[in-house]
Amino acid sequence: MRTTLRVLVPLAAAALPFAVMAAPADAASGSSYQTTLNPLNKSTGSGMATVTLNGSEANVKVSWSGLPAKFGGGAYPHVQHIHIAGNGACPTTADDKNGDGVISTTEGGPAYGGIGTTLSVKGDTSPNAGTNIKLAPGGASTTYSRTIKVSGAVVDSLKAGTGVVVVHGLDPATLSKKAQGEKSDLVPSLPLAATSPALCGVLTSMPSGGVATGTGSTSGIEDLGLLAAGGGLLAAAGVVLAARKRTTAGV
Amino acid sequence: MSRLSIVGGRKGGLTLLALVAAAIGLVLVVVAVSAQRSAPQPPRSVGSIDPAAGSPSASAPPEVTAARTKPLGASRPVSISIPSIKVRSAILPIGLAPDGTLAVPQPGPNLDKAAWFKNSPTPGQPGPSIIEGHVDSDRGPSVFFRLGSLRPGDTIRVTRADGVVATFTVNAVRDYKKSKFPTDVVYGGKDLSRPQLRLITCSDFDASIRHHVGNEVVFAHLTSTQRPQAGKG
Repeated sequence: MRTTLRVLVPLAAAALPFAVMAAPADAASGSSYQTTLNPLNKSTGSGMATVTLNGSEANVKVSWSGLPAKFGGGAYPHVQHIHIAGNGACPTTADDKNGDGVISTTEGGPAYGGIGTTLSVKGDTSPNAGTNIKLAPGGASTTYSRTIKVSGAVVDSLKAGTGVVVVHGLDPATLSKKAQGEKSDLVPSLPLAATSPALCGVLTSMPSGGVATGTGSTSGIEDLGLLAAGGGLLAAAGVVLAARKRTTAGV
Repeated sequence: MSRLSIVGGRKGGLTLLALVAAAIGLVLVVVAVSAQRSAPQPPRSVGSIDPAAGSPSASAPPEVTAARTKPLGASRPVSISIPSIKVRSAILPIGLAPDGTLAVPQPGPNLDKAAWFKNSPTPGQPGPSIIEGHVDSDRGPSVFFRLGSLRPGDTIRVTRADGVVATFTVNAVRDYKKSKFPTDVVYGGKDLSRPQLRLITCSDFDASIRHHVGNEVVFAHLTSTQRPQAGKG
């Protein structure tokens, strides 16, 4: 019996809860970015964007809905960009410096920075195409996927967490009377609503690798102590009974 | 031998003792075996990750190709319920760990709660909203212990801070090796326009290294939304 105990104690100890599981980190982390596009300036839309970097090549996916559909009889052009080298933030009403109720693209500048890449549907993707409404997606919603070359400055901003996706173009009816009469701070031939930011989201790294959501305490044999004790008792009883039987047979 | 050998004498007592020990031993073994709880193993791959894209798989229930439900605005999730596996949990927001992985609920009062990745869309917004939970902890089974039993067609309900209850329907279940975890598919994917939900937990315990080497991901999409009743909490 004492021998059995000597075996049982370490067995029971082995059944104690185990150490916490380590998280295996992915070596190639931080090459994919994501953001949720939330409304600015009383816009009603929302969306999501992802950027997958492969060197200086970026696959950019942008999807949004709920923006104004029509502009002057045609599809409303919504210019969209990756802004860089700002504070890595979306502007707030505190950034409405002239108090007209609209955060203009210029007023939002300190928060999200300047244009790094224009997310045009075709052709030029440089900052030069930033206000080219002919290259912008149009209508109330869009599903955009394009693989483009991006500059070193864009790559640096993405890694630093200061890449910001901004989609422009507001419904003029949602603007204050004063703002409805204003001209665009970027393209004076257009109304302020046409170029002001409507959706904004700061690009952040996607989580790398898998997720450490378990310790293994329920895997394998959990009640090892109980099992060993029960098994030990059975074995001991078996030994005694066998010995007893042998003694009886010997008489 | 003048006495009855079974009940009397020193040797008879020993036999009785052995029989009692055997009985107790048997009870302990039965208790230990019946108390054995193992998390259900998820299937390697069932259903289609992008229900709208391509042809619906033969095994998928009809609702996975149902009409799109209009996306919601942003509002953080507060609780989750999964009736088919009896899950009810509060939801806490969680970010990235210093090593760039998704942080997980730590030992303490929140260990066995579900966690929403705060850089992902809120449930009901366009794109994949991420909610994770432990399969087990040092205390035993955790919030997503039975996640491996979920199948296409099952529903998941998330209550948001704005009171809206967003109902998602499972369209796919995948079991990935952590070493080959498809980050872009899980946190992004082809269709960012559709409100989706991904539930993540651990799977595939490797006894030799005492670690889970897999992650189960449940892919679901928004199928209905319910606004709170006026005057009711």
